[in-house]
Formats: sequence, C-alpha cells, structure tokens
Amino acid sequence: MYRVSADIGGTFTDIVVENTSEKKINTIKVLSTPDNPANAVFHGLNDNLKLKDIDFIVHGTTVGLNAFLERKGSRVLLVMTSGISDTFTIARGDRKELYNVQYTKPKTLVPRRDVVEVKERIQWDGKILKKLDEEDLNNIANKINNEKIKAIAICFLHSYINPEHEIRAKEILKKNIENDVVISLSHEIAREWREYERASTAVMNSYIGPITNKYLKSLGNQLSEGKYNKPLYIMQSNGGVIRAETAIGQPVKTLLSGPVGGTIGGEALSKKIKKPNLICVDMGGTSFDMSLIINGKPSVTNETEQQHIPLLIPLVDIHTIGAGGGSVAWLESGALKVGPRSAGAEPGPACYGKGGNEPTVTDANIFLGRLGSNSKLGGWMNLNINASDKVIKNLSDKLKISKTELAEGILSIINAKMADAIRTITVKEGIDPREFSLVAFGGAGSMHAVWLAEELEIKEVIVPNDPGTFSAWGMLQTDIRRDLTVNFFQPFQGLSEEKIIETYNKLEAEAVDLLIKENVNNSDMSFMLTADMRYIGQEYYVNVPIKLPINLEEINKNFHFTYEQQYGHSTPEGPCEFINLRLIAVGKILKSESMKSIDKKNIKEKSSRKIIFNKKNYETDILDRQIIETNEKFIGPIVIEEETATTVIPPNYSLIKDDYGNLIINKN
Amino acid sequence: MKKIDPISTEIIRNAFISIAQDMNAVLIRSAYTPVIYEGKDCVVALLDEKGEVLGQSSGLPLFLGNLQVCVQETARIYGWDYFKEGDIFFVNDSFFTGTHLNDITIFAPIFWNKQLAGFSASRAHWLDVGAKDPGGSMDSSNIYQEGFRWPVTRLYENNEPKKEIIEFLRMNGRFGYSLIGDMNAQIAAGKTGEKRFKGILDRFGLDLVRSARNEIFKQSEELEKIAVKKIKNGSYDSEGFLDDDGLGSDPVKIKMKVTVEDEKITIDLDGSAKQTQGPVNCGFAQTISACRVAFKLLINPKRPVDGGTFKTLEVTAPQGSIFKAEEPAACQWYFSSLGLLIDAFVKALSPAIKDLSAAAHYGDSMVIFIGGVDPRNNFPFLSVEPTCGGWGGFPDSDGADALINNVNGGFKDLPIEVFENKYPVSIFNYGFRKDSGGTGKFRGGCGLYREYTINADGFVSLWFERSVTPAWGLFGGKDGIGPNVNIKSHDEKEKNLLKANGLQVKKGTVLTTYTGGGGGFEKPFERNPENVLNDVINKYVSIEKARDHYGVVIDEDLKINKEGTFKLRNT
Repeated sequence: MYRVSADIGGTFTDIVVENTSEKKINTIKVLSTPDNPANAVFHGLNDNLKLKDIDFIVHGTTVGLNAFLERKGSRVLLVMTSGISDTFTIARGDRKELYNVQYTKPKTLVPRRDVVEVKERIQWDGKILKKLDEEDLNNIANKINNEKIKAIAICFLHSYINPEHEIRAKEILKKNIENDVVISLSHEIAREWREYERASTAVMNSYIGPITNKYLKSLGNQLSEGKYNKPLYIMQSNGGVIRAETAIGQPVKTLLSGPVGGTIGGEALSKKIKKPNLICVDMGGTSFDMSLIINGKPSVTNETEQQHIPLLIPLVDIHTIGAGGGSVAWLESGALKVGPRSAGAEPGPACYGKGGNEPTVTDANIFLGRLGSNSKLGGWMNLNINASDKVIKNLSDKLKISKTELAEGILSIINAKMADAIRTITVKEGIDPREFSLVAFGGAGSMHAVWLAEELEIKEVIVPNDPGTFSAWGMLQTDIRRDLTVNFFQPFQGLSEEKIIETYNKLEAEAVDLLIKENVNNSDMSFMLTADMRYIGQEYYVNVPIKLPINLEEINKNFHFTYEQQYGHSTPEGPCEFINLRLIAVGKILKSESMKSIDKKNIKEKSSRKIIFNKKNYETDILDRQIIETNEKFIGPIVIEEETATTVIPPNYSLIKDDYGNLIINKN
Repeated sequence: MKKIDPISTEIIRNAFISIAQDMNAVLIRSAYTPVIYEGKDCVVALLDEKGEVLGQSSGLPLFLGNLQVCVQETARIYGWDYFKEGDIFFVNDSFFTGTHLNDITIFAPIFWNKQLAGFSASRAHWLDVGAKDPGGSMDSSNIYQEGFRWPVTRLYENNEPKKEIIEFLRMNGRFGYSLIGDMNAQIAAGKTGEKRFKGILDRFGLDLVRSARNEIFKQSEELEKIAVKKIKNGSYDSEGFLDDDGLGSDPVKIKMKVTVEDEKITIDLDGSAKQTQGPVNCGFAQTISACRVAFKLLINPKRPVDGGTFKTLEVTAPQGSIFKAEEPAACQWYFSSLGLLIDAFVKALSPAIKDLSAAAHYGDSMVIFIGGVDPRNNFPFLSVEPTCGGWGGFPDSDGADALINNVNGGFKDLPIEVFENKYPVSIFNYGFRKDSGGTGKFRGGCGLYREYTINADGFVSLWFERSVTPAWGLFGGKDGIGPNVNIKSHDEKEKNLLKANGLQVKKGTVLTTYTGGGGGFEKPFERNPENVLNDVINKYVSIEKARDHYGVVIDEDLKINKEGTFKLRNT
C-alpha cells in the first residue's frame, strides 16, 4: 500500500510515494498544470500507481493563493453592523511606509460599495442592545440574487462573544438565495476580537471560496472515479491536515500551506535524528524561506499579514526574503548589488539561454563550476555555461575586477544577506544560532548552506534526502489538526480555576466533534490548551501553554516565563490578564518508519571538474549521492549531485552520510 | 587607506543596515512600555568615529537623522577625547536634542583595539519623565513643567552603572519600574550594535571598514546630488499656520524659503513665529531632523540613510523662533509645528518637482484623551488616541482616505471591540466624512468621524489642529475640509471646540470628532467623470458636490448625464 503527498509548484508538481509494505520511498516529478492543478496530481498518481492501492493522499493546494495573488477571486459582499462598516475600508489607518508623500493604501478585496449594513448591535459583554433587523437582510438577499453574487462574508460587532445574530443572518439569507453561494461567518472563521481583522479573514475565506471548492470537488471526483475511496487530506497553514470536505468550508486555513511542508519535514527530521534545534532554510529560484524548530517544535503564530491583508489564522512561522538562484546582480552608482529582483523563470538566469542578459546567482555558481553545466537544473533544464560567462564578463569589465572575483563576490553578497536575515530572526526570538544545526533544502539550499553556516558560526549542516522534494516529504509527516479559539478577556486576579475548566471542557467537547468528523478514533485524539496573556495595559500578548490539570499558580509562572523568553525580561509581580483561550486538537495519523529511498536507475559515474573556491582552482570529485554508503566520510572539496539538488562542500569541510541517508557536513 | 573592492563594500553596507535592524529588534523586544514596542516611538543607529550614520532603523519618521547630532554636539563641547571605553551617556534636554523631554537619547562609544571606532545610539520615548501631568501636559508654558531635564550625562563609567543617577531617574518618573526597563532595553540595543560592529571589524579590519564607509557615503551623496540637480534652480516660498500655541494664542505662523542651487538645497525658516508660550516649540536639532524627513520624502526615499545622506541640505532658523527655541520654552507638542513644516516644504518645491509632490494632508495627530473611573470595575481609565485623516492628491492618484499623519510611526486605530472592552465608552458610529477631501483632478482623501458615547463621569482633553490652514490643494486643486469636535450632553448646550485640557464631562456625553480631508491636486473639472461617479457610488462624494464642484451631473439611477456634464463643464 502507498501513502502519497503532492506539492504543487509553479513549474513542477512533486509527488512523494511511500510504499508502506516494502518500506521504500520514491519521488515522481510531473509538469504542473496551472489551468487545473488537479490534473497534474491525478495523472502523476494514475500513471504511476494503482489508485486503489493508495491509503492516504495529502496535498497542499495553491489554487486559493494564486486566485488571491492574481486578484482573481470572487466578488464578495461584506455584511457588517450598521454605523461602523467603514472599519473594513479604514483598515486601521496605518502606513506601511514612513517616507512616502504619495502613499496609497493597499487595495481591499471588497470595494466600499459592496460593504453593506444591517441594523443590529451586540454589546461588549454579549448582551443584545439592538435586535437584528430582518428586513435589512431580505433587502440584501434581493441584491445578492439580482447581482448574482456568489460569495458573502458576515461580520457583526462582538460576534466572537455572541454569534447569535451572525447565525440568524445566515439562516435568513440561506432561505432566500441560491444554494451555491458561499457564506462565511466571521465567528466561525476566526472567533477573536478586532472587527477589521476578523472581517478581513472572513472576506478572504469567501474570496477564494468558490474557486477552491470547485478545485477540491473536481480532484475528489477524479480520484473517486479512479477508485480511490479513502479520504483526501489537505495541508493547512498551521502545519496539520484536514479532510477535503472540511477544507471546503474554510479555504482560508489552507491558504498558506505551500512552504509549510518543509518546516514540518524539519520537525520530523528533528525527532528522527534527535536534534531539537534546527534552522530550516529553503532556497529556490526567487525566494529564501527560513523557519525555526526550537525544542523539537516549529513556532506557530496565530495571525499574519499577506500583502498587507491581515488574517487571523494559525500558521507555521516562515520568514521569506527575496534571494534565490535567480537573484540578479546589478550596479547602482558604481556599487554592486545582488537581488532582491529576480530573473524569475522568464527569461531566467543567463544560463537558461532564454535571453537573460544580467548575471544571476545561478550564473555565478555555473561560472565557478559549483553547478555542473551538465547537471540538469530541477532535473530537466540544460544549462548554457557560455551565456553565464558572457554576462559575468560584461559586468566584471564595468567594475574593473576579474570574472572570478565578481562571481565569488555575487555569492558572498547573497550569502551574507541570507545569513543577516537568519540572524535577525534569531535575535527577535532571543536565541543563539550557534546552538542550532542548519537544514538546507529546496533546489539551491544545499549549494549555499556551508557558507551560511560559516557566517553564522553554525557547526553542522544537514542536507536531507531528496532536498528538492523535502517539502512534499514533510507533508507525509503531519497529523490532523484543528485550532479552536474562544475570547476569555479576564483579569488573572480573582479568577477561579473552575472558570477555565468550564471553558476548556466546552472547547474540548467542540473539538471532539470536529475530530470525529475527520474520522479520528478517540484513542488517537490529543489536545493542547494555550492562553493568550499579557500584562494589563498592553496591546500585544504572548501565547502561554497550559498544562492539565489546571493550576492557576502554574499558569501565572508560565506566563512570566514565556514573556521572559520572548522579550528578554518579565515582571513577576505585574498584574496580568487573559485574552483568548486556544485549543489545538490533534488526530494522530499512522506514519511509516525507516523508509529507504528506492534506487534510481541512471546512477552517474564518479567524475571530476575544476571548481573555484576562494580564487583557487580545485580539481573536485563529483559523486552521485546514491553511491555514497552510510557512514562513509569525505573531505572537501567535493560535490554531491542528485536529481533535484547539488550539494557543494568546499575545502576545510567534510561530509558523512548518517544512518538515515542525510548528508552531515562539518568544519574540519 | 586601503583600497576596497565593490564586493566587500556591499557586504559591509548590508551589514551596517542589518546591525541597525538587530539593534532595533533588541530594543523592541526588551522595552517595557507599549509606546516603544507597539507605537515604535524609537530609533537606533550605528555611527562611525565622527558620529556619522553607518546604519539606522527608525520607527518614528521625525527621528530621522538626529542621533548623530547628539554625539557631535557632545564632542563639540567636550572634545572627542571625552569618550572612554566603558562609557554610556544619556541626554534629554530639549535644547540639545531638539525634541520633548520624554525622548531619551542613549549613546556609547565603541572601541576596537583601543581605538575609537564608532558609537551605538538609540532614542526612545519614555512614558513619564516627571512632568506636572502624567505622561506629559497639553498646556505647559515652560520646560520646567515638562519633566526632568538632563544634559549629556554618564550612565555608565568603566562599564559600571552610576547607581545614584539611575536611582534619581527611577524616583522622578511616575512609572519608575518600566522607566528602568526601557533604559536597559536601550542599553541592550547598544550592546548588540557594539558586538556586531566589532564582528565586522574583526573580519575586515578598521582600515577596510573605513574605506568601505567612505565609498558608501560617496555613493549616497552622489545619488542625492543627481536627484537634487534635477530640480530647477530657484527660490521657492511657502507658509502655513498652526491654529494656536495650545494656550489660546493667535495663529502661529511658519514660513520658509527653499533655495535650490545646482546640487544644494537650503531651507531658511526666517519669518516663522517667535517662540510661543504654549508647548509648540522645539530645539534646532529637531528642526533639522524634520527638514531631513521633508527632504527624504522627495529625494531618494527608498535609499537607507547614512553619513552621505543630507550632505546637500542646509537648514537655518532664526534664534528664538519656534524652530530654534531658547530656554525655558515649552516643547511638549513640538511635532505639530514640525508636521506643518514638512507639508510646507513639499508645497514650496511643488512647482519645481510636480511629479514628486502632493497636496497637503490633514495635518496633525488629532489627539483625544478620555479618562475617568470605569463604573464596571471602579478602576481609573485613560484612553489616548490619535485619529486618522485624509492625505493630499498627487499626480495620477487620489490622496489616501483615513491615514495616520506624517509624523506618526507604527500607529493603528484601536478596534471598537477592544475599545469597548477596555473603556466604558461605546462607539456607535465611525466612518468616512463624505465630501471632506479637497476636490481636484486627483482628490484629497476623506477624513473621519468617530462618535464616542461616554458611559461614565470623566474628563476629555483634545489637541486638534489645522483649522486655520486646512490641507491645501495644489495646481488648482481645492483645500480639504478642516477638523471639528462636537460635544453633546443631556443638560448642557452643544459645544464645538478643538483644544481642551481636562474638560469635565457627564455620563452619557456624546463626543464626535471630525478630522480633515486632504487637499486636491489639479483642477476638479479635469477629473475623469467616471472617477467622480465611482466616488458617488462609493459614497466619498455627494451628488451635489459632484455637480457643483466637479461639474459632473449624475442621475438618480447613478449614471453620468453626459449632456448635463458637458454643459456644466463648458460654460
């Protein structure tokens, strides 16, 4: 039987297949089908496996994200409380740039004309001040029908504490409009205070709702026609999965699942190799993603901003900067700059031979011999070394330095930038990068990893199996996860344990119902309670883990401890308060252990080529990763090639393959 | 000096910027008060051995390019030998730093191999520095009412804290505990800068780092000269008025003459008001800083600031004016004058660089305090809120609706749901003020109304500005509508006012604030009728205003009446 995951990229869809009976793992790479991404997934599977032999399919959908990025989502009608509906368009009035007299605000997903009001009002404590005006809703239903609107979001003030009016509003609308209209209730999507952020999250859910639903249904149908009758799981931004049927109701929670697989892979790797602290870096063509595993866990935040649109969704904390193989080297007033502009896929680096006429990071790697001209980038593209040479020469002439100096310089600059970005994240988290190992994956990660480690004084670099498909592999390491939130605005002083227990019990009951819907057995369920807490008077909060049985003294201690960790100090005698209680509900999915990579055919013979390190030429051995034995050790310089990535080990570094097939690189 | 290659230069340049960001991250991470870690009312910088900026990270626009002045001024007084390894200094005197006493500047020399290699510096707003009113006053008339006042003073000597001084600080702030916390956060930020700068020096050596610095400064200066050269030579004037000095004076004039001569810009503030009794004055250092913000808005705004920036800018102001105030002038609300100065600079240069300019914005922070005792728990409460307004139109775009003013940093308005939980105040109405944006081919953004129903006996303080010179239009665009505040209670007569200090209000009082719109850009009759229609549909502009000001007739079915429009626009 098989467990499979699919990671849909811009160019390729990576599929990782675990053969659970033979304990073997294999990867399939097919061209993505942007018009309907489901096609690539379906054909990739159907052409290589028998669908009925598959036990488990998980995948990250990018349909919603692309619809958002290209602004091709549905027209959304936003329904808000009368008198205050402009809060959505005001968008809290902040500036994202300090020095711009011609600043324009980010465009909202709903124009002001499509924000409509209903007379109703709920007070801060949940008491109804003004009853819901049903006549207003009937008028809105008419508008929806007349204008054939397919997506609605409803956000009433204080609905996080009393959702009655939102629920009733949906009932009334449902009765009067077409069945296929998506309706998102703000309290269901994000049960937290802050009306603008909650409305914004509900709007996003509706904006990408119709297109995501269509896609998930189409993939589901294709699979079941192919006799796959087990559930289809969708990756969420929080690092867990849900069934496609559940995802259909809340597509916003799957919006940012793309890069999450890599971090979850890092978490699984951390457990396997018993290294609790990892810095995971994923370097591709245009972007460099960084995430941290601290004490065996990825950090998950409960809100984010995407293109300045706030979303109250839990998501794995991933930081991105514009640095990658396609980053362009250019001149400004005599100074050499690298990135953040990327040559992208079109024209791409000069070596793609598609008309790129500026040197990129990939061109520098080719010129120096670190990337072989016969290595096929991403497994398919032939590289034109002469084109790289030419663009590097042009720029080096202008700078009056040698080609080698320029090529190594481009890499030094981009490496220093990536290292600086990692350093800033660790400073913000209050951790020391030297106590971490660096895990490198993505197409270009393992080519640069050693230099990043050098800059950050990190002692060990780990290159996992198939670094190019590590994110897809990571998706197979997940569990089912649901996040529940309830507003719990209470001062700590004078609070009783019973009150927390009562709220916890309600949350847990709700969570059990949700997990049952995901077909999880009671014995596979686990729950973790956390609280958003802060010192009274603050706006920001920290998320504090709460152990059962509830013990107020311990919660208090934990709060000050968490605060100290995050901010470097705490005020143990300071009065604090709760804002939200959050419950993470996990349904364990059975995973398979000790997978071995299936031996690929076409193993490349050992060869060598000239590679420049620090202005010197080294005749360097080139090895196919598949022929390296466990615990076999090599001294740099050496290059390890595999289908999806190239690992470069410079002089003064050495390499060993561990029991799990990871390449472990250390300084001599 | 060593010759430097472009690669090392770029790595060092990026490192300077990244060091400043790390310093900022440490400050934000470890500060105790929300003013710093939420409001971002702070700035950090790494400076070279002459106090010039290597890297800077600013949360508040007005702190741009001001830290170096503190170091250089100290050296001017005491000489460069004054700085010893293990020293940490602080200063807050308004006539030295330019800003109000709440802003504390801390800096420390960085020594590398026994040589002075540079300085770390930071400034942050401390919540309370012992003024006559908590947090600061709205009606101070001299600096002695505004808090403790320190010349450059050692906080640390030989790496040892000067305990007596720190104890003095703690005892003289109302929130002594957080005051010490914020001080330590600034010191920690400085230490981070020192450690990372030394790392760069260890790697490249002092000579190479200095060569890189020279190269970087040269590049910045050159880029700036190129930008300034594009501005037509000439002399450009503008002026504007603050409503009053906060103590009910006549309007306070600010006047400037901007002279562009090849690669040089001079801002002369001669003709601006003499220093006032009320707290709208500032020291000259902060005036220079505001001029730099104004300059930066138009000249290479995206390039990070370093010691090569602002070499082309010169500022002069008359001694004893609001911009170069003398002891014992009150300075608490210094940024009102400076916000106006920034708008005036953009206006002055607009004829020369129309494509970079914009009409004026609504102008000031429009601060409202509501305080009292919360009947729900009998705790005292105090809400302090700035309010957004409209920004000016500019070539190819309308001004932003409801955006925070130009001297504010990381502000966000408080959500109604949070507001109503925290304070015994209900907000039933909050929205765009229709027709408040100045009309123009590109209209000014709309201001806001925000209606507070106060469910407790308490008090209200207000600082609303710019009714005398509301946001001006440019190139035929019209001015925006100015601000207003309306107070209604059951038993008293309705009032309209803009400033108040501790006005008593009864339970049930309804207070509505109205902020101004931005100015319009170019003539309203040139506005594309489709855009006017859009504004009417989106309810930013009324049908009447569309007809009377834009000459666009819109029928009841929300369609453009082409005939009527043609007639209006061509007669």
